Amino acid sequence: MTKPSIPLGLVFSQSGPYAMMAGEMLKGALMAIDEINQHHGFDFTFAPHLRDPGGIVAAYHTACADLIREEHVDHIVGCYTSASRKQVIPIVERTERLLWHPARYEGFESSDNVIYVGAAPNHTVVPLVRHMLDHISGDVFCIGSNYVWTWETNRVTREIVTSAGGRILAERLLELGETAVDHIIKEIIDRKPPVVFNTLVGESSYSFIRALHAATMRAGLAIPMLSCSLCEPELKLIGSAASVGCITSSAYFESIERPENRAFVARWKARYGADSNPSVDGQSTYICVILLARAIRRADSADVGAVRRAAANHRYDSPQGPIWVDPDNNHCFLTPRLARSVHGCQFRIFWEADAPERPDPYLSNLDLPAVGTRPEKSNDAMTKRSTHLRIVK
Amino acid sequence: MTRPSPFSVRGRRALMVMRDEREISIMRRQLNRLGMTITEYDPAESPPDEAVDVIVLDADSIPIKSDLATVWKVDAPIIALIGTETPSRLKWLLDLKPASFLIKPLRSAGLYTALVVAFDSAQRRIDEAARIERLEDRIRCRRVVFAAILQVMRTHDRSESEAFTLIRETAMRHRTTIEQLSAEIVAVGGMPHRTPRTA
Repeated sequence: MTKPSIPLGLVFSQSGPYAMMAGEMLKGALMAIDEINQHHGFDFTFAPHLRDPGGIVAAYHTACADLIREEHVDHIVGCYTSASRKQVIPIVERTERLLWHPARYEGFESSDNVIYVGAAPNHTVVPLVRHMLDHISGDVFCIGSNYVWTWETNRVTREIVTSAGGRILAERLLELGETAVDHIIKEIIDRKPPVVFNTLVGESSYSFIRALHAATMRAGLAIPMLSCSLCEPELKLIGSAASVGCITSSAYFESIERPENRAFVARWKARYGADSNPSVDGQSTYICVILLARAIRRADSADVGAVRRAAANHRYDSPQGPIWVDPDNNHCFLTPRLARSVHGCQFRIFWEADAPERPDPYLSNLDLPAVGTRPEKSNDAMTKRSTHLRIVK
Repeated sequence: MTRPSPFSVRGRRALMVMRDEREISIMRRQLNRLGMTITEYDPAESPPDEAVDVIVLDADSIPIKSDLATVWKVDAPIIALIGTETPSRLKWLLDLKPASFLIKPLRSAGLYTALVVAFDSAQRRIDEAARIERLEDRIRCRRVVFAAILQVMRTHDRSESEAFTLIRETAMRHRTTIEQLSAEIVAVGGMPHRTPRTA
């Protein structure tokens, strides 16, 4: 008997400035769709309909309008940037559809018609800055791409750092796509900051990391670097030597030692090649499709209201660990992790929360005095202060 | 001069500083319906050198840390179009002192309210600035008034409150301000001899 087919919209830019990331996300979506379609536990299949906005912000609205009108989709998985998501939200709200959004973002949004599967700012920037204060320095040099992700990450960093008595030594911005970084590298080598927080994206980030690596080698310096966004495929693009040593905050790394993740990575490599690596965004997009399929099964319907209710608080043991949607704000409970990039374009995880953390998109539960308090320098300072945190390595 | 009512928007000049074509067409249509004249401008350029009554500015279209981030601090009231509600963006917006705002995506409803609030708050701002200037003038003159009171206390052998009453009543009789009369008292070293003005 043929299973009924449910149309599923996919909106990923296959060209433009972030095509690489969106390509990884599409891989995650297609892999999950195939798994659902072949799984005996689901009495329906997904019929994917892909639209490619080509990295043009205004094209996202058209793509989604087209998916809803022509393909009759109730659910859309996609969008990488906040600008594109904000194009899509009006149309999914007006037509009562659901956007499943895989990417981490800067927060300060909560639509009833979006399920935010990527990390909220309390999952990424907060633990990273906390680690920096406890183990590296309170004085930080910030460099980022000139757009909302950097502005907001820098603002949160500044709030936490200054409340702890630290300083933002500099806040340098490059236009998106800019790769002329020599003047900033020179400033960093001259000033020798104790730590650099890098919120550059794409080619700007790769150029900067390569140039800083070369310059610090020449000068005989070791300056730690922080990131909230680097992923394994990017480490490859940067190059094996230059990409080593970056302290990165993410809910997912390929190296997570969980049976669910080992099986997921194996399936990914079997499908996309032994030298391919699932990224946080690829894995998160995979989770979007699985969460949707499980919610449809629970609701026995693809109806948006029923699916939203069925997805709420429903725990899924995903590759990155247990994850579920918080119906208070439609964001997900996720486990924050910190890792250091190592040779072989991988991350070695050195800390993770011992339970998934409630999403806090408006950072309304951020307790600045508590986060900013700098305890006595000690290797387990973080565990002393926050008993729910756990050092894994 | 009669002040225009904030409810009367016909004939007023709006400057649209926007980029999204869909938003632009909604804004253009509504402003036309309200009978306003429209100038359109790209957010990447510096403000034009022409007088307008209101600026409709898409806040998301200008990078926070750019040379253009502050040039829109102009006299005309600003209606901010807001998509991103992050504190970093809102802080930038507050520095522009928007007179009112609209949340994107735009709809046909809401613009008239935003215009009325913008025109009203712009007028209140002008009134308040004028009032503050008057009050500041008076504060600056307090030293002179105090000096005049001391002068009158000495030359006319009065108590402080009697001296002030004398100055106030004389100023009223001469149809001048306490501050002006005080300046004259300080200048001539006592109550000036001047004939009361008649209306």
